[in-house]
Amino acid sequence: MSQSLQKSGVLSGRLTKTALFYGALILVALIWFTPVITLIITALKDAGDFAVNGAFSIPKSIRWSNFSEAWDAGVKNYFWNSVIVTGVKVPIGILIEALAAFALTHMHFRWANKVFTYILIGLIVPIQMTLVPLTLLLNSLNLIDTLHGLILLYIGFGVPFGVLVMRGFFRTVPTAIIEAARLDGCSWFRIFYRIALPLALPAVISLCILDGVATWNEFILAQIFLRSDELRTLPLGLVQFSTQFSTQYDQLAAAVLIAVVPIVLVFLLFQRYFVSGMGGAVK
Amino acid sequence: MSTLQETATTKSAPVLRVKARKSGDDYLRLSPWLFLAPALAIYTIVVVYPMVYSAYLSLFRWDGVAPTMVFVGLRNYINLVTQNDVFWIALKNNAVWLIAALLLPTSIGLGLALLLNMKFRGSAIFRSIFYFPAVLSLAVVGLIWTWIYQPDLGLLNQALGAFGLKGLQRNWLSDPLIAIYPVILAATWNAVGLPMLLFLAGLQTVPPELLEAAKIDGAGAFRRFIHVTFPLLRETTLIVLAITAINALKAYDIVYAMTNGGPANRTQLLSTWMYFLTYNYNTVGEGTAIAVILFLLTLIFAIPYLRIMTRKV
Repeated sequence: MSQSLQKSGVLSGRLTKTALFYGALILVALIWFTPVITLIITALKDAGDFAVNGAFSIPKSIRWSNFSEAWDAGVKNYFWNSVIVTGVKVPIGILIEALAAFALTHMHFRWANKVFTYILIGLIVPIQMTLVPLTLLLNSLNLIDTLHGLILLYIGFGVPFGVLVMRGFFRTVPTAIIEAARLDGCSWFRIFYRIALPLALPAVISLCILDGVATWNEFILAQIFLRSDELRTLPLGLVQFSTQFSTQYDQLAAAVLIAVVPIVLVFLLFQRYFVSGMGGAVK
Repeated sequence: MSTLQETATTKSAPVLRVKARKSGDDYLRLSPWLFLAPALAIYTIVVVYPMVYSAYLSLFRWDGVAPTMVFVGLRNYINLVTQNDVFWIALKNNAVWLIAALLLPTSIGLGLALLLNMKFRGSAIFRSIFYFPAVLSLAVVGLIWTWIYQPDLGLLNQALGAFGLKGLQRNWLSDPLIAIYPVILAATWNAVGLPMLLFLAGLQTVPPELLEAAKIDGAGAFRRFIHVTFPLLRETTLIVLAITAINALKAYDIVYAMTNGGPANRTQLLSTWMYFLTYNYNTVGEGTAIAVILFLLTLIFAIPYLRIMTRKV
């Protein structure tokens, strides 16, 4: 009898501990997530409700039209521009980064390490260090205020991180496989295309996602090199939107949510690739 | 056959090279460069060449339009240091930002990683929640937090009011004395995810047997962390510190979105002030000089980082 009592005492002690643990964790997580919750609530209420009750009250009535109004007020353009830029930049970027990383890992040549170091420098260059010459360059190519000009810059700036991630992965591909294919008379390009790239598929997906998110979010190059409103990408467009509609918090929040939703979907669907991609960058 | 095995097991490049030379396989020596060419070409044109050219431009007085540039040596740098008050404000803000970035996101990230590494039910959901801000663009983070700091309707002042702390309410982003701190806090919210992820990855490499052995020897959780886990995370910690420092010095969009350098230039960073000098005041020489200074500051943290990344060959 006393034994079973003791046991249940231990059990309930453990239960309280677990409850406390989860309680504390949920509280911290809620505080951490407050900005996001506020954003969602604001996007769903009308401006009058916001002005009277502030940011954090439950919306009186849900106002979906905020989204369509924001969409028509210009977010539509920004959204499709971001889709185009990301959709073109990421595949081209990954292809050239994978080619380079493959050469650096499996095509043993004397300068491989020097070339890798040269490429890594790009990870630390402040973009400000390139702006003026890039302005001159794009100007002379007539690419200022065009999406292809911006895509060109994105591909260039993406090279260091992409090569780093792909190289980290290619190093785990056993040399024996490559050597065997070489001896069988396979050309380097065939080895790359038929063996290395399929094996590296997880890394390619990781990089697609990390690079896609980074491109979707990029601000400073877009700010400097896109001039006309109809060419703006989302982050730039949103900041612009916020100065134009500074008091219409409801529409602004809806606009921000529209920009964030694709990222959330990618994040939820491919979460584990964020981890493996970053792991690849440090390996 | 034995050479093949040797190449396979030790990745020994010299063997291959000798082989290549013997057979006169020019294709073997040219083809790496063909594979590298697209990436190297575009990277050199877009990143490296502009970087070098900026350093050169920083030695000239130029308005960005005139056909002639006047060589002034280090005059632009001297002018910045001696006559440009905002340069010092920006430099100080960068220093505060850097210190905050080295302390806050790193330690919060480590704490969260240790917590979430305990495999409890639902830990994956919490990991997503805590990582989530890291996938948002800094412009978006800036906009969201601008509303939080909004003086009348913003969440922060309302919450302070609700808890009876009206005395602490501020006009957060328009008070010149403090405006930089709310911006840094917003940036921190975004910056925690990466260290958390890297520390979580690092924790996977700590052998559980070691921790078990320490536990049997009577070491408590704290001592197990100090004497077992943390020493094994040394390299991860170095990488995390380097990356957060480099990212902190790159900060730009969030300031642009939240304060645009104001009030009265009190939240300028070197990066934003570079933009103002170059594109608003047309003093290209001084603008690029700031960019060079920013790059040199970054190098302090980047050199150890690049060492680690290239060491593992």
